[in-house]
Amino acid sequence: MILTALLLVIAQNPAQDPRYERLDPDTRARVVAIVDSARVVGLPSDPLIHRALEGAMKNAAGERIVAAVRRLAGDLGTARDALGSNATPAELEAGVAALRAGATPATLTRLRDLRKPPITMALAVLADLVASGVPADSAAAAVLVLAPTARDADLVEFRRAVERDIALGAPPDAATSVRLGATSMGLDATARNARPGKP
Amino acid sequence: MFERQDEEDIVERVIRELRRPASIDRALDARVMSEIARPETGLVARRPFARVWPWLAAAAVLTAVVIARPWSRGTRPDAFQFVLVAPQAASVALVGDFNDWDPTRAPMHAARGGLWATVIPLPPGRYRYAFLVNGVEWRADPGAPAAGDDEFGTPSSVVTVAGRGS
Repeated sequence: MILTALLLVIAQNPAQDPRYERLDPDTRARVVAIVDSARVVGLPSDPLIHRALEGAMKNAAGERIVAAVRRLAGDLGTARDALGSNATPAELEAGVAALRAGATPATLTRLRDLRKPPITMALAVLADLVASGVPADSAAAAVLVLAPTARDADLVEFRRAVERDIALGAPPDAATSVRLGATSMGLDATARNARPGKP
Repeated sequence: MFERQDEEDIVERVIRELRRPASIDRALDARVMSEIARPETGLVARRPFARVWPWLAAAAVLTAVVIARPWSRGTRPDAFQFVLVAPQAASVALVGDFNDWDPTRAPMHAARGGLWATVIPLPPGRYRYAFLVNGVEWRADPGAPAAGDDEFGTPSSVVTVAGRGS
């Protein structure tokens, strides 16, 4: 009961969120303003607050925290424009990671059109491949090829295989290409086996 | 007791009576047929399941929905184990988006061989996190993808949790 009342108070007055107390007063006021503006246009506030808290925990200067939160708010808006207003907060966060990795908004939109939601994992795998050293266009092309049929687990296994190959010394582009071929063949075989009346 | 001739007469009369065509009052016939035709008070409505089956069906649907819990599909947390090898560390905390970057909320426990570990439930989503060693040193998770954008000058990692059934 008390918790519910507290949550209601916080929901009605976001500036009362106790998490803001970990920011210095000047930074807090500026972060609250950015979060409020984002909320007005329908963007999720938690990713913004988390980024501010990360900065505070890592003893970053207020200016740097505000810049990071402002940049994230802008990128969440770009991701929302690309993924549509039905995108979940998790999809938007993964979309931001993919955009920052070098994927274009058009790639995000194409991924949304190709794959049944949620597409969080597909976006995350794209971003994670780039973080592993795979060129952004190769990572995007690979994920777009796998997106229509691969399960999330298939995408994660694909990413791990590429990362293993890179760790063992393979060029990232070559690792992506080879593993993409193997994964696609595996998916084709799975689809054939699942088809009734197969020869 | 009857005489034999009397007995034969009686049997003869009974047989004649039974063989006579039955005549039913037409008004009675019409009343019975109209009762059968009425859905609410007719014979059909008197069957015991006629009024109960919609409730049984509703109860079955409700039970199925409660068991399947479609509203929670894809949002229930999965338990994740985080491990860091840090033999020289006196303390290690796991901090990230999932605990509001609060080191007091996820202290890690020392295991054998210099391993530090903790298990936390994570709902579907993408989370940034890092290990805080001895309260001062930030370390990324060597077993997880790196967060590409370290805007605060220290490394972080990311974990992505897929929704169930995806």
